[in-house]
Amino acid sequence: MDAGQSSLSPTTSFDRDRHVRFLKMMFHGLPSGYQEQEINHLTLAYFVISGLDIFGALDQVDKEEIANWVLSFQARPKSKADLENGQFYGFHGSRTSMFPPDSSNVLIHNNSHLASTYCALAILKIVGYNLSSIDPDSILISMKNLQQPDGSFMPIHTGAEADLRFVFCAAAICFVLNNWSGIDREKAKDYILNCQSYDGGFGLVPGSESHGGATYCAVAALRLMGFIEDDLLSKMTSSSIINVPLLLEWSLQRQTIGGGLQGRPNKASDSCYAFWVGGVLKILGAHKFLDKEALCEFLLTCQSQYGGFSKFPGQLPDLYHSFYAMSAFSLLEEPDLKSLCVELGVTDFAA
Amino acid sequence: MDSDEDERIPFSQRAEWSDVKPVSQDDGPNPVVPIAYTDDFRETMDYFRAVYQSDERTHRSLALTEEAIDMNAGNYTVWHFRRLILETLNADLHNELDFIERIAKSNSKNYQIWHHRRWVAEKLGTKATELELDFTRKVLSLDAKHYHAWSHRQWSLQVLGGWEEELDYCGKLIEEDIFNNSAWNQRYFVITRSPLLGGLQAMRESEVRYTVEAILANPDNESPWRYLRGLYKGDTSLLLSDPQVVSVCLKVLSTSMNCVFALSLLLDLLCLGFQPDQEFKSVVESLRTSDSATPDSNLAKTVCSVLERVDSLRSNYWAWRKNNLPSPAVQS
Repeated sequence: MDAGQSSLSPTTSFDRDRHVRFLKMMFHGLPSGYQEQEINHLTLAYFVISGLDIFGALDQVDKEEIANWVLSFQARPKSKADLENGQFYGFHGSRTSMFPPDSSNVLIHNNSHLASTYCALAILKIVGYNLSSIDPDSILISMKNLQQPDGSFMPIHTGAEADLRFVFCAAAICFVLNNWSGIDREKAKDYILNCQSYDGGFGLVPGSESHGGATYCAVAALRLMGFIEDDLLSKMTSSSIINVPLLLEWSLQRQTIGGGLQGRPNKASDSCYAFWVGGVLKILGAHKFLDKEALCEFLLTCQSQYGGFSKFPGQLPDLYHSFYAMSAFSLLEEPDLKSLCVELGVTDFAA
Repeated sequence: MDSDEDERIPFSQRAEWSDVKPVSQDDGPNPVVPIAYTDDFRETMDYFRAVYQSDERTHRSLALTEEAIDMNAGNYTVWHFRRLILETLNADLHNELDFIERIAKSNSKNYQIWHHRRWVAEKLGTKATELELDFTRKVLSLDAKHYHAWSHRQWSLQVLGGWEEELDYCGKLIEEDIFNNSAWNQRYFVITRSPLLGGLQAMRESEVRYTVEAILANPDNESPWRYLRGLYKGDTSLLLSDPQVVSVCLKVLSTSMNCVFALSLLLDLLCLGFQPDQEFKSVVESLRTSDSATPDSNLAKTVCSVLERVDSLRSNYWAWRKNNLPSPAVQS
């Protein structure tokens, strides 16, 4: 079978059943190719579980089992005093970064990570777990150790790059826990504003090229923190902390002639930007300005005969692009998909 | 089958590792979304766990981290431990730069590799200035829009210096591909932040000339249009008063009637209060097609109507703009 050829055959409609089967297959096991992304195991789980939730297909999975599994990744301080030791007590992303505490129950190898923590909490929300029982204070108090003087966040206390992705994760964590003590919002806002480029989009760090994914992180974080109000479009001419007209136009220009969205000017359309950039427009109240039919058509060229979606038309599907394309279809109001709380990356119901 | 010198020998069969007891992964309660690890992967991580837990910082554990990284270049725990080992062994970090370069060949879109590179470069300080420029230049020669490489290059310039030829480098990349938005972004970065140039104000005039030339060469290229606008960031009055801005729009429209970027810049100028002259008005008039409904009552509305037609993908947006013009635009 010529896989390349058959996956290019015209698929005229959203193949709901195949996508649900794809996700369920992934739920039961990820092929070995995913071991390269093993460090982000919780993130992969989030893609599958949140994906199933969007399809309303979580009824057949054991939610308690999922919750227990997620909880097993949590890093626990031995005592409250530990929270001042500079470490972050969140969730690990994988078993390969988890190590047992020593004989006196001190967690000497704490590799918990901000992004994994966001994914953990998102999954717990989706399966309806009561978050008050996970000791949110430890997460929030220790999270402050990760915020940098310029307002950005490092994802792990042992040292890593600090950029907008983790500002988003931090904001999402506080939002989910409904407690903003873990983040200095003003500083975070300042950092985000410094990331707005001369063309209106946002780069991952100040000075870098504006990028669809970074722009989502910026706008979603500002929204979560309460710095972007509803119905922003009607307030475009009044003061807003970001240059909204420029951002709006930058975002809309990401839709290319083939209908798909690109992540940066003069680059190829890629299915995941239907969510990243589509999500920005949704938050701004400007999703209606996209040519939805054209976007839909493009996404369907990325739809795989195996279920799921690929990055570019006619390629093999992967979990990341599948999840974001599916999320984009929810934004496009594809029938029988649950609506999304865009800025949180989970369904409205879960949020 | 010939024995391949690259064929992996399991750790369990390596004499130099015979004293180490591998630690298997504790998958915990019923694993959800389990990954089908290959035996090689599982075994390598079993041995990593062993040395990590015993905190063994030796040459053999350093080599082990290399194998683990080869299989799973994203594992930040392994990278972190590698850094601890390098420090303890007081290793020559120049070798480490070579190691990173080798790994990056097959894994260049990986945050951990670049973070590690930054860590090494920071330790080497200005000894690494040229090396970092060289390395990023190499990566960019294979992918001139490589996001990580550009971030690293920007970091390197700011922390280790080496700005001398950066503007020329941008010019060269733009010459090779005028559509390279990353190169245009880097150019903006250089003119605004280089300690060797005078900053945006000082550079504006020459940059406007440069950009106008690029626009005229390819009017449908979004990058120079954004760049041009960016040159007037924070100075709206200059944007409105500099004749070169309107003139490039009108010049483009005289030969490329459908140029969305020229039209949208004209629209933005009108919205900011630009007072159009007769030439401006006649160019816009000539773009109206005879089949358009009653002529719009003002210039900005006309421009919006033209945009609705020539940028049909975004016709909803241009229609909305038309109905939401700010007062400066409605008065002309």
